[in-house]
Amino acid sequence: MSAHADHHADHHDHHEPGFIRKYIFSTDHKMIGLQYGITAGLFLLFGFYLMMVMRWSIAYPHEPLPEWMSWMFSDTWKSRWLQDGKVTGETYNMFGAMHGTIMVFLGVVPLGFGAFGNYVTPLQIGAPDMAFPKLNMMSYWIYLAGGLIMCASFFMESGAAKSGWTNYSPLAGVADAQYVNQWLAGQTQWLIGLVLLITSSLLGSVNFITTIINLRARGLTWMRMPFFVWAMLVTGFLLLLAFPPLEAAGIMQLMDRVAHSSFFMPSGLVTKAEGLLEISGGGSPLLFQHLFWFLGHPEVYVLLLPAIACVAEIIPANTRKPLWGYKGMVYGVLVLGFLSFIVWAHHMYMTGMGPAISTWFQTTTVLISVPSVILLTSLIISLWQGSIRFTPAMIWALAFLPMFGIGGLTGLPLAFNLVGLHLHDTYYVIGHFHYVVAPGILFGLFAGVYHWYPKITGRYMSRTLSHLHFWPSLICMNLIFFPMLTQGMAGFHRRWYNGGDAYLAKLPDSANVFGSTVAEHIDLNILMSWAAWFMALAQLPFLVNMVISKFIGKKVESDNPWNATTLEWATPTPPGHGNFTTEPVVYRGPYEYSRPDHDEDYLPQWVAPKRGATETEETPSPEEKPAAH
Amino acid sequence: MADSAEDIKKAIRTYLIVGGILFAGTVATVLVATVPMFDIGRHGFDHWDMWLGLAIATTKASFVAMVFMHLNHEKKAVYWLFASGIIFAIAMVILIFGAKADPIEYKGFGQGDASIGTTP
Amino acid sequence: MEIPYVVTPRKDTGLNNSKIAIWLFLASEVMLFGGLFSGYVFLRIGADYPWPERTLPVLPGLINTFILILSSVTVVFAWAALKMRKWVQFQIFMAITVLCAVIFMGFKGLEYSVKFHHQAARLTDYVMVEGHIDYEKPAGAHAAHGAEASEVDPIRDASGEKVEMNVQRFEPASINYDVARIHKPWIEKTLAEAAVAGAKLTLASDIDFNREGETSKPVFKAGSELSVALLEDIAAAQWDNRAWNAKWRTKFLRQAWKDKRADPSSDLSEAAFLAEFPNLGALAPDEKEKAFARWRAGKRARMAADVNLEAATLKHEGRAVTYKDVKLPESPNAIFNVASGENPFSLRLRNLDVITDYKAGLTEITLRDGTVLKGKQGDSSMVFHYVDGIDFQHLVMIAESKGQDPLVAIKNSWIVKENPEVAKMWELHQAGVKLLEQDLIKDYGYEDDGVTPSRVPTLKDRYRMGWQEIAYYAEIFHQKGGYENASAADVKIEEGKYTPPRVQAQIMEQFKGPDYDHRHFIHLTIPREQVMMDSKFTPKWNTYYAIYFTITGLHGLHVIGGAIVLAYYLFCGRSMYLSNPEWLANRVEVGGLFWHFVDLVWIFAFPIFYLM
Repeated sequence: MSAHADHHADHHDHHEPGFIRKYIFSTDHKMIGLQYGITAGLFLLFGFYLMMVMRWSIAYPHEPLPEWMSWMFSDTWKSRWLQDGKVTGETYNMFGAMHGTIMVFLGVVPLGFGAFGNYVTPLQIGAPDMAFPKLNMMSYWIYLAGGLIMCASFFMESGAAKSGWTNYSPLAGVADAQYVNQWLAGQTQWLIGLVLLITSSLLGSVNFITTIINLRARGLTWMRMPFFVWAMLVTGFLLLLAFPPLEAAGIMQLMDRVAHSSFFMPSGLVTKAEGLLEISGGGSPLLFQHLFWFLGHPEVYVLLLPAIACVAEIIPANTRKPLWGYKGMVYGVLVLGFLSFIVWAHHMYMTGMGPAISTWFQTTTVLISVPSVILLTSLIISLWQGSIRFTPAMIWALAFLPMFGIGGLTGLPLAFNLVGLHLHDTYYVIGHFHYVVAPGILFGLFAGVYHWYPKITGRYMSRTLSHLHFWPSLICMNLIFFPMLTQGMAGFHRRWYNGGDAYLAKLPDSANVFGSTVAEHIDLNILMSWAAWFMALAQLPFLVNMVISKFIGKKVESDNPWNATTLEWATPTPPGHGNFTTEPVVYRGPYEYSRPDHDEDYLPQWVAPKRGATETEETPSPEEKPAAH
Repeated sequence: MADSAEDIKKAIRTYLIVGGILFAGTVATVLVATVPMFDIGRHGFDHWDMWLGLAIATTKASFVAMVFMHLNHEKKAVYWLFASGIIFAIAMVILIFGAKADPIEYKGFGQGDASIGTTP
Repeated sequence: MEIPYVVTPRKDTGLNNSKIAIWLFLASEVMLFGGLFSGYVFLRIGADYPWPERTLPVLPGLINTFILILSSVTVVFAWAALKMRKWVQFQIFMAITVLCAVIFMGFKGLEYSVKFHHQAARLTDYVMVEGHIDYEKPAGAHAAHGAEASEVDPIRDASGEKVEMNVQRFEPASINYDVARIHKPWIEKTLAEAAVAGAKLTLASDIDFNREGETSKPVFKAGSELSVALLEDIAAAQWDNRAWNAKWRTKFLRQAWKDKRADPSSDLSEAAFLAEFPNLGALAPDEKEKAFARWRAGKRARMAADVNLEAATLKHEGRAVTYKDVKLPESPNAIFNVASGENPFSLRLRNLDVITDYKAGLTEITLRDGTVLKGKQGDSSMVFHYVDGIDFQHLVMIAESKGQDPLVAIKNSWIVKENPEVAKMWELHQAGVKLLEQDLIKDYGYEDDGVTPSRVPTLKDRYRMGWQEIAYYAEIFHQKGGYENASAADVKIEEGKYTPPRVQAQIMEQFKGPDYDHRHFIHLTIPREQVMMDSKFTPKWNTYYAIYFTITGLHGLHVIGGAIVLAYYLFCGRSMYLSNPEWLANRVEVGGLFWHFVDLVWIFAFPIFYLM
């Protein structure tokens, strides 16, 4: 702990920022990373809760919500949004839309990119901070404002947005139209929140890319960068270039709501409440879908890459061997980023797009599975003949591989529009992308938490609690999502509230074959719902672990507790403002484990080669080396 | 990059010339659109006018980007960064256009209304 | 701690941090405007109405283009001045740049405001009428129009605003408020109008929120006068009772489900299934399993129908109660009767706020906030003081898609059939188009086949009468002492201009629209049932204006943002300059890059919106 003490002594020489500057309006990338992490974690829990309520409606149609799920609301709120305690279709839609929005925009992206990216990236490239610390702070606060605006609408007269996380017009355009002041409608607040979130992401991605390009330590050439940093670079580009079209779409939809324009409203639109709408029409609902999915698909990789990045750091450190196919992975992730921009319309096969353009999007969609498979395969091969340490981080990383594998492979059939005819909007789709995001990405991010926690706090997380967290989570995740694939193939539709019971009203004597196959699998809903609720319980050990380990966890023995090789482990524990005590210099690639010519089984990037070493590549790379990017 | 005072003095001449070209281009684009004498193609607006207008605009834009924004002698990294935006923007416009005007005619839903969209 | 490469470039990339950042930001801006222009392309090729071609006056856009180009030149000069360390020169050029931005926004504002005051209407037969709406005047003042009428003071509503004659008038006999959604401004407006008219709005019947024999809850007496506070009190009491009822209904429903599950008829076991269908021996085991799953699902789905909340009993205060015993009365609506005073109590409602589709003779209308008005309609005509545009293009498009002759369709349209003045104008217009046709043939001749003219009038020439044309015909009517005396022979066109007959627009008219004081236009009253949809020239009018306002508006925001940054360097850059002139030069270069990008967007926006 000498390093720790040194660092504190060092820190007191500088002027200590006040509480507010240090913990709230901090410009330190590490504190901002933690702020992102905690905020995103809270949003994730909220999104999870919304889903628990929805799962009640699916498993127990027409039954009032049990007390333990609804005690937190006031009676007035419940009388507005629940009917005799039951989840109404409108409320189900509202919770569904907000579950998706919160999980994607407020939970996973800020956790992966905002939290891990912020905390780890500057450390791994040997930078004192992000290139624009104040901009970084602004990103966080704009994100928080956007998130709070979206969620506050739950308590407004109109309720929160209720047109799906994709917010398709014209449904989204006419939703909440009965409110005279459109600025106070949940549907409008969603758009305002979204525009703020996009702004935050744009500022963040500009900052990240600039930092990675310009603030790398001496000797850290492109091909010596840890894979984590590469993944963050690509993620940054995805955010930078994919989000603006959605911002355009968001602004257009905002205009449709508050200026009564018809960007996404076709001619002759009639609603039950209003008759023929007082709008010009002539707009195109499909335009919104194009602009939305132009973001929507790269967004998938924005979610995924930080998780893969964490796993790619954890696996070499815990197998004590280099990452297999590092170069292949780097090129793979670049190709992945490129292709992700031109596959978006595979979300829109059922919209009546022409066959030629459908073919294009099918082709690119199948192509993009190639780099994904390269990434996953490299990670799996990295395990081969390693002497694996089953640390908490490692077991999560190991679970990530098959879980993400299932998620990815179940996506392949969906790449074809013929299959889409059958599977479109069924639980198969839900099962597929949840396998990617929940057991896949979240497992990867959990692994990251366990891995970097000792660096952040100087203490290990409890092993027992982490096992108590891991095993129930793994089991529950599969119990929730695997049955979805079955149900989806049987035809269970993703937007049925009350578990689609209206659809079953004629069973079992009806000739409705489609309904019959649904009926055969519908009782799985009860299993899945209970698994989801137990899943919530399984997170308690994790929350407890995070809090108590800070105070009573086992202290780390050195600044590099996992004997890892990348630069973040060269900093004091925890790293102070400015990160490094001496200017870091990089001499070699990021994953130099078990080198035969070295005594220890790891050789960190920052350790200077012994005098007289013959390897030329170990000299710090000259700065004049031209940028590869 | 023009960094020395000498280079800058030379560059100023270039800036003035480019400014002149931009003014001339603007006048040209208005003339071809409003004065019958310069009207190409059919009487009134047609696709020739569109291509000509866009061509003039693109030329003007290139001058601004090349000279005013110094892209004619910029570092390689800048090309990469900015090109990424341009490439994907073009891909987006083309693919969205392609989705609307698919070369293969699809006679699925709503072909009854399709004719409304075409100007006679 | 110090962030490296803030001013000096990093050696291997050759760039400082802010240079990288601005180019990244510009790349994302390219995507933003790329998305918007994609939207433009998509909307235009998919438009199911005639896209307004070359519809904006070119001059303001052209001047703005010049201004932006000028500012682009000066901003790069400002940077060059800094590089040569000439502070005063920098200040001068930067000041010109910022001034250009201000002038640009000034013209933009003028352009917008003209459109925001210009009215359009789409009639039910797809004829578009454009012009300026008259203000409501005292009875009799409307008979005269033109200069005399504009001298009469318009009527003002209770809040002192002039009333455009584009409202739905309704005289309510009773107003039914949905207390769950009260929109306060509307109630206040209603009360103000009622005060002016001397009308009284009183609660129609008692609203008692107590159970029989209880007195703890509020009671609202019939005859209480409407006020925001009263409605809010009713709403609060209603929500209170509703929440209470909902809470109890939930409890009873939970009990009812418990009872239902305990009921032997709810047995979902396989044994129950086999008992119900004893003859399943013939089925294969997996078929039997499927049949069982289906049976169980169906049975579960039907259980809800048997669950009876009213029949469930619960213990409350030591005794068994049913829902009926604890239920409190609810009143989701509050109905107020109107007793008229000396003046008729007539509400003027924006079309957008009335969600009932307009029909003559409606006795009940619903407003957007759920308020239901019962009573009788007042005069809801739309009165154009000046009509300065009549457009048949959409009607022609619809007629042709139905295989009808467009000229017959126009002849049968309401505006031509019912308005002899417009009919005469249409007649003169056709004569004008004929002249145009001949002029084009004279100058360009025929195709090789000798029959098809090389150049023909456009659809817009044929089927649209813009303000210059209408002013031209109205001038003829005026000179002839009435439209009846005008004839096709009076129409002349200017040769070589290839436009339908028209008056020449003055310079100021390019910016502010037609000069109504010196030109003649026609007056038109359109019954409300003829109007399908109306709008000012705002994003609502059609998707062209929507995308025009969105792109130019966002561009305008960029201009403002860029001007603020540049002005900051101009006014607050001195200390930066003194500490390290290169630092300021770098910053100005970065700000300049953004400014050039703003110019670049306009270079495309100008031809696309103004010239295509």
